[in-house]
Amino acid sequence: MEEKVPRSNIIETEIPMGTVHPAALEPYRVRLFVEDEIVQEAEITIGVNHRGIERIMEGLPVEKANSLTEKICGICSNSHIWNSCRTAEIGLDIEIPERATYIRVIMGELERLHSHFLYLAHGCETVAHETFSMRVFYLREIVMELLAMIGGNRVQYGCSVLGGVRPRCDLDEAKLQRLKEDMDKIEEGLTGFAERFLADSILISRITGVGVLPAKQAIKLAVTGPSLRATGVARDLRTNMFEYDDFDFNIVTQPDGDVKSNLLMRALESFESIKIIRQAIANIPEGKVINRDWEMFDTDIIESYIEVPRGTLYHSYALESGRVRHCIIRTPSMANIGAMQYACIGDHITDAQLSIVQCDPCFTCTDRAIEIIRR
Amino acid sequence: MFENTAIISILALIITVVVCFILSTLLPGIERKYVHARIQQRIGPPVTSPGIMAPIKFLFKENIEPSSPVPGLYKALPIICFLVVLCMLIALTPYAFAIPALSSLVAIVGLLKVEEICYVLMGSLSKSIMSVRMPFPDRVKGAAHLNTTRSFIEDISAKRSLRMITYGSFPLYLALFAPVTAAKSIFLQDIVAYQQANGPFLFTVAGGIAAIVFFIGYMIVLNEYPFSIIKAKCDVIEGPYMEYASKYRSVVFITRGFLMFTLGVLFSVLFIGVPATLFSPTIILNIVVVLVFVLMMGIFSAFTPVFTNRQLLPSILGATLLGILAIVLGLL
Amino acid sequence: MSIKSFSRARAIHVMLVYTGGCNGCDIEIVNSILSPRFDAEQYKVFLTWNPREADVLVVTGPVTHLNRKPLEAIYEAIPDPKLVVAAGSCALMGGVYKNIHGDIPSEEIEGPVENIIPVAAKVPGCAVRPQDVLAGVVSLLPTLLDAD
Repeated sequence: MEEKVPRSNIIETEIPMGTVHPAALEPYRVRLFVEDEIVQEAEITIGVNHRGIERIMEGLPVEKANSLTEKICGICSNSHIWNSCRTAEIGLDIEIPERATYIRVIMGELERLHSHFLYLAHGCETVAHETFSMRVFYLREIVMELLAMIGGNRVQYGCSVLGGVRPRCDLDEAKLQRLKEDMDKIEEGLTGFAERFLADSILISRITGVGVLPAKQAIKLAVTGPSLRATGVARDLRTNMFEYDDFDFNIVTQPDGDVKSNLLMRALESFESIKIIRQAIANIPEGKVINRDWEMFDTDIIESYIEVPRGTLYHSYALESGRVRHCIIRTPSMANIGAMQYACIGDHITDAQLSIVQCDPCFTCTDRAIEIIRR
Repeated sequence: MFENTAIISILALIITVVVCFILSTLLPGIERKYVHARIQQRIGPPVTSPGIMAPIKFLFKENIEPSSPVPGLYKALPIICFLVVLCMLIALTPYAFAIPALSSLVAIVGLLKVEEICYVLMGSLSKSIMSVRMPFPDRVKGAAHLNTTRSFIEDISAKRSLRMITYGSFPLYLALFAPVTAAKSIFLQDIVAYQQANGPFLFTVAGGIAAIVFFIGYMIVLNEYPFSIIKAKCDVIEGPYMEYASKYRSVVFITRGFLMFTLGVLFSVLFIGVPATLFSPTIILNIVVVLVFVLMMGIFSAFTPVFTNRQLLPSILGATLLGILAIVLGLL
Repeated sequence: MSIKSFSRARAIHVMLVYTGGCNGCDIEIVNSILSPRFDAEQYKVFLTWNPREADVLVVTGPVTHLNRKPLEAIYEAIPDPKLVVAAGSCALMGGVYKNIHGDIPSEEIEGPVENIIPVAAKVPGCAVRPQDVLAGVVSLLPTLLDAD
């Protein structure tokens, strides 16, 4: 399948949904242009939850700004604070203790697990399969408790700080042991879920071929992250990140780019995350978790890209006498909005929300005023 | 003497209907707590909450004017639905067999049709806040297609119910007419008499197939999960019922449980030959049939996603073909 | 106990409106009601997405400019008696976003929720814990039961 073309150009009516809607976990407006219940075009309006975090970050001391980035998103909060710290660390040449890198990776992968589980649960909820959704939520609760154990809070853990991780997030033997045991529990639960999911022929036939995003179109729309990998393109920024050098993992891809591929991809990628966490537990080095031995100086604009659960996250700012200047944050959903609008085309209205959910939207992350003009 | 029996029948009828009504309010709770919650490995709500306490609670809420072009008609529709179900239950008691116009299959089919048409009207008359009326700057500079007509989400729901009238309810009607082929009469009295003489229709080949078709039709009429496209949560939220508040919402809640009960009784009349009367031990059989149907529906709906037209058409077509097969077998 | 309060205590319908928070609270609240671990239905709390059905409106987020009118419209659509729970520090006092423009009045953040609709219970936390949300909704019971 090269490119999807709408069945006809007739637009019979327009159905707006939102800003509050059961299938959406966050406020956005979607206008579906339909002909006989088949979506011909979709328009997603974001900016509903624009709060202007960069505006607040501008001029704050960099440590404060880092902890503020956590409030961008409640799902991938750790990724934001990690990447924000990473930006400053690159600019200031701060050496991070190895143990801290490992803990950051563990947190990052735990967050990937909880984000992917949320995605699976939300996806099942959107096809109105309440039972599967509840089973995944049950599994997700184990991850949430682990995150609360390490970071002290269920959602915003504030793990990374400049030069390493917060000493509170250091992992002692008991915590490592619990982490290890819970990984077994999660793997067992997820295996059971994946087997049931694949054996459920009604559900599989319901989601196969819905919300198709062809690989060519995905690259054209600059889709990132799992949504891109579900179209068959093996591109994962984790392979380029120095944090992941010590770890052995596979890039999971799925061929079709429909809802089934997306859901399966998340489930399979969760197994890779479990694998990474296990390696990290086994090889975690001894030593300090934070390096406080660094100096502040003014820098040029620093850029940092990392792979977060939903795609590629970009943070960039300059430092001027210890304060943040010219802050730009680009979140994965920014690139994926095009994919969402595209994936709806040609599907039934009931599948339209599913096609949007399929691309893992996180508009709370995305809502910020950015305009990059390259000349 | 004649007057006495008439009065006694009417009294017996009223008592039967009231008891059935009270039992029916428990059904949504049974489905929610003992089927869905058990499958989902949680405790679930108390049995009385969804079916009894929620409607009573809504009675005491402010009677807010629904946003609808014809509020009077819109508010009357759930009451019509309730009366339709009530008539159906009355038709299924042995006391109504004296009125041939009511206790025939044609009347039952007609009543079910009224119910379905009510969904269409409800959908097209409801204009809820959740879509077009949401105060949001949609038509602004730069937005796509500024001049299209705009539909409420309930309008899609109305369109879907119209579609369901045309083909969705075929399985149930075919299943209803399968016993007719055996009894050679459309009057419930004759169908019951035939089965009491020759054993339940359910245990013949045609009857077995028709029972499966009846179950599928039962789920379609009740809009339960796989067939709940007219009130699918992921796009139309609650569909036709969006704007009902207070008393009218409680009638909507009650009607659902009552319809579950009535359809179960309909099955026991047509396929087992047991009309509903409180003054015979066979009422236990009626209640068991109702419970079995509710439990089966609960299990089925807990494991299925919502179907779109792509799945609905083949599944309904399959059920229709099965129904035709049952009728042909019955005729042979 | 009258039949009114008796029935009200046994079926509470909760509607969730998110007004531009960071998603953390929304997911914790949906989680608290959907997840079998917390299972709000066992406390007779049901999640609904229809304002006409709701008794309690749970609001999260600092109410951004574009969310103000939808929030008001949804509040209007709920029949009396209705109560509002503001969940999360953004909904309580604007959170980190309140002082976005310093002393200059902000055009983006209209919140906290109290400025727009009357709030009956406040659930603190960033993000709120599911237990706290349940406790907040249940703490409204006396007020809800005595309302006409």
